[in-house]
Amino acid sequence: MTVDVAGPIPGRVDLQEALREIRRAANPKPFSPATVNFCAAFSAALQRDAEARLFPELKVLAFHLRRAAVAELQRQFECLDSGDCILVPRGLVFHIPPANVDTIFIYSWVLAALTGNSNIIRLSSRESPQTSILLRIFGETARATRSDELLSTTLFLRYGHDRSVTAAISSETDLRVIWGGDHSVNDIRSVPLPPHAREVTFPDRSAMSAIRATAYLEAHAPERADLASRFYNDTYWFDQAGCSSPRLLVWVGRPEACAAASQSFMAELEAQIELREYRLSTGAFLRKLTFAYDAVANGGISSYNSPSNELCVLSLENLKMFRRDHPGGGLLFECLTGALSDLVEIIERRDQTLTYFGFAREELTAFARSLNGRGLDRMVPIGEALNFHRYWDGYDLLQEMTRRVHISGAPAAADCHPERYLLQQKVT
Amino acid sequence: VTFDDLMHCPPFSLDHPSKRAVLLEELNALTKWHRARCVPYRRLLERIWPAPAESLEDVPYVPVGLFKSQRLSSVPDEEIAVTLTSSGTTGQAVSRVYLDRVTAQRQTLTLGHIMGHLLGPKRIPMILVDTRSLMKDSSQFSARGAGVLGMMNFGRDHFWALDENMQLDLEGLRRFVARHGNSPFLLFGFTYMVWQHLYKQIADSGISSEMNLENGILIHSGGWKKLREEAVDNDEFKRRLRAATGLRRVYSFYGMAEQVGSVFLEGDDGYLYASNFSDVIIRDPVTWKETPTGVPGVVQTISMLPLSYPGHSILTEDLGIVHGIDDSTCGYRGKRFSVLGRVPRAELRGCSDTHAYGSQA
Repeated sequence: MTVDVAGPIPGRVDLQEALREIRRAANPKPFSPATVNFCAAFSAALQRDAEARLFPELKVLAFHLRRAAVAELQRQFECLDSGDCILVPRGLVFHIPPANVDTIFIYSWVLAALTGNSNIIRLSSRESPQTSILLRIFGETARATRSDELLSTTLFLRYGHDRSVTAAISSETDLRVIWGGDHSVNDIRSVPLPPHAREVTFPDRSAMSAIRATAYLEAHAPERADLASRFYNDTYWFDQAGCSSPRLLVWVGRPEACAAASQSFMAELEAQIELREYRLSTGAFLRKLTFAYDAVANGGISSYNSPSNELCVLSLENLKMFRRDHPGGGLLFECLTGALSDLVEIIERRDQTLTYFGFAREELTAFARSLNGRGLDRMVPIGEALNFHRYWDGYDLLQEMTRRVHISGAPAAADCHPERYLLQQKVT
Repeated sequence: VTFDDLMHCPPFSLDHPSKRAVLLEELNALTKWHRARCVPYRRLLERIWPAPAESLEDVPYVPVGLFKSQRLSSVPDEEIAVTLTSSGTTGQAVSRVYLDRVTAQRQTLTLGHIMGHLLGPKRIPMILVDTRSLMKDSSQFSARGAGVLGMMNFGRDHFWALDENMQLDLEGLRRFVARHGNSPFLLFGFTYMVWQHLYKQIADSGISSEMNLENGILIHSGGWKKLREEAVDNDEFKRRLRAATGLRRVYSFYGMAEQVGSVFLEGDDGYLYASNFSDVIIRDPVTWKETPTGVPGVVQTISMLPLSYPGHSILTEDLGIVHGIDDSTCGYRGKRFSVLGRVPRAELRGCSDTHAYGSQA
C-alpha cells in the first residue's frame, strides 16, 4: 500500500515501510533544543513569508510558535514534570485534523512534537492555500535548520476516505487525536487501536457569550467599540462555523438594562462588520435566512432583527429554544436573563466555550461549580474564543501527549549515604 | 378580478401595471388566508413581516428551503389530496408541498390555460421523453413524476420514449413518427433528459436524416447545470436539436414543485414570460430591493394559485434578470426575463467537518 506524503519531504511511500521507519526512530526528549529551535525558526519564516502574511490565521499561528511562547509552554511543562513523576512521550501520535480549519494540524502537531512524540498527520485530499503554504514553509525550515530528528519523526500523509490506511496507521499508534465533527469521531473510533493506546477526540462543540448589562452600560464609547471588535473576531473569523465561535449571546441583568445594552452592542457590532468589510456570500446568506425563518416558524422567538445580510439576531423568549445546529455566517440567538446561574439548565456537555464580559473570577468559578460537569470547558474573555491553548475541550494537552512515570520512595542522591539509607528503610 | 375571470382571458394578456394591481390584491388576500390557517406562517408574519404590503414588492416571501424543514399546510390533514416532494439541489432534505383538491385543480387548470397558448385547445399526439416506470406510486409524487403527469393531460396516444435504463426506443419512435409525424404533435421532457437521452442518442446513432420531428412542439423544463458543463446554452440547445431532428418549435419553462401550475413560459424570442397568474421579482442580494431592469439578482416568484399551503410568494435560490417590461416582440405582456442558474452553494467552513468520513464505504 503506497500513500502520498505531503511533507516534510513530499513524495510517495510504502505505508508499512514508513511505519516501520518512524517506529524505529528514537523519540526526541521533551522540549529538546532541536524541536524548540525548529518552532522558533518556523515562526520566523511564517512571519517573513509574503504568501503566508496574506492569511491572518497564519500570523496567529506564527505568534503561538514564537520562541517566547514555546518557552512559556516549556515552563508550564516543567511544572507538570516534577516531584514523584516525570513526563515521557507517549510514542507515535496519529493526528486526524479537520479539513476546513487549516491551522489545526500544526497546533496539534506542535504540542505532540514539543513533548517528544513522533507524529503522523493525516491531511484530507482537499488542498487549501493555507495548508500548502504551511507545508512548504515547514519543509523549507526543516531543511534550513537541518532538523534530522524532526524529519525522521514527522510524516504528513495525504489520503482520501481510505479506511485501510487509517487502520494500518492506527495499529501502530500510541495516541490518536481526532479533530472534527461527531460523525468523523464515531467513524474513526470504530477503527481499532492497540490495547494500550489512548484516544483524544474533539467532537462537535458549541459556544456562547455572556455580558453583564450594567458593566457594558458603564463602559465608555471606545471600550464598547473595542468589545464589539473582539466579539467580531471571535464570531466572524471562521464565518461563525468554528466550535468556539459564540452562537448565543446572554445579557445578564435587569430587563431594561439588558435591552439598552443589547441595542447599543448590536449597533457597534454592525459597525465592526462594515469596518472590516465582512461579506457573506449570497448562498451562505440564503442558508442562514432559511435557518432563521425555520427557527421563527418553530415559535419561541420574540424578535427577528437583521440589519444586514451579515448579522441576524433572534431573541429567545425561552432559553430552551436556543439551537446549536446553526449555519453560522452571523446569526446570533440572544436572551436576557437575571443571573448567570439561569444558564445552568440549558448547558449541555457539548457546550465548550463561554466568552464573557463584566464578571468577576469568583462568579465564574461559582458558575463552573454549579454546572458541576454538565458542560463548558473554558471561560475566556470576549476576544479570546479562538485562542489556542494547552487546555482545550477539558483536556490538558501537554498531559495528554505524555505518560507519567511515577518514581516512589527513593531518597535523593544527596541523602544516599549508607547509614541514612538504612535509617530510612527502618523508618518506612 | 378573480381566478375565474383570468381563466377567460388569454394567459399572457395583462400588462405590467394592471398585473401588479391584480396580483397585489390577490396576494394580500392569500397572505391573510394563510396567516389564519398555518401557524408557522403566522409566526413568520408576526415577527418578520408585521406591516401589510402596500405594493407587490412588499408582499412577504418565504425562502424556498423552508418547505424542507417546516410542515407548511393551510388545510386540515384529511383534506390533503397529494403531497409533492422534491429533493432540490442539496440531495438530502426534501421539500414537501401539501395540495388539497381545490389547489390541485387550480394548478391543473392554470397549466392547461398556459400550455393552450402553445398547443391550442385540442389534445395532440404526445411523446414523453422519460420512462414509464416513473409513474409507480401515485400518492407521493416526485416533482419529476408530477411534472410529467401534469403535462400528459395535454396529449393523447402517449409514447414513452425511454426504457428503465434510459435507452431510447428507436423502433417505437419511428412508428410514432410514421403515424403522427405529419401534423403537430407534442414532446415533453426534462431539459437534461431531452439532451442526454433523446438528442444524443439520435445524433450518435446517425439516424438524424430519417428522424423527422419538424412538426413536433418540444416543451421542456429543468436545470441547465449539466448542459452548461458541456457549454450548451439555450440557443445552442435549440440549434443542435433542430439540426439533428428538424424540431423547430422548442420552448422551455421555468417552474418549481413549490408553485406547480403557474409556470413561466419561453416565448418565440427565447425569453421567459409570466402568465397573468404569476410574476417574478428580481432582488438585489445585498439590499433585497427589486433590481432595475437589466441588473441580475435573486429570483422571487409569486403565484396566486396556492390555497392549501403558503407558497404564493417564494424567495428561490436561483439567479435571474429582467430584460424588459411590456416590450415583447412576440405578443407577450409583462416582464421579459431569463433565469441564470443557481446561487452558488456556500462553501462549508468550520471545525466540525473532518472529511465527510461517513460517506466512505
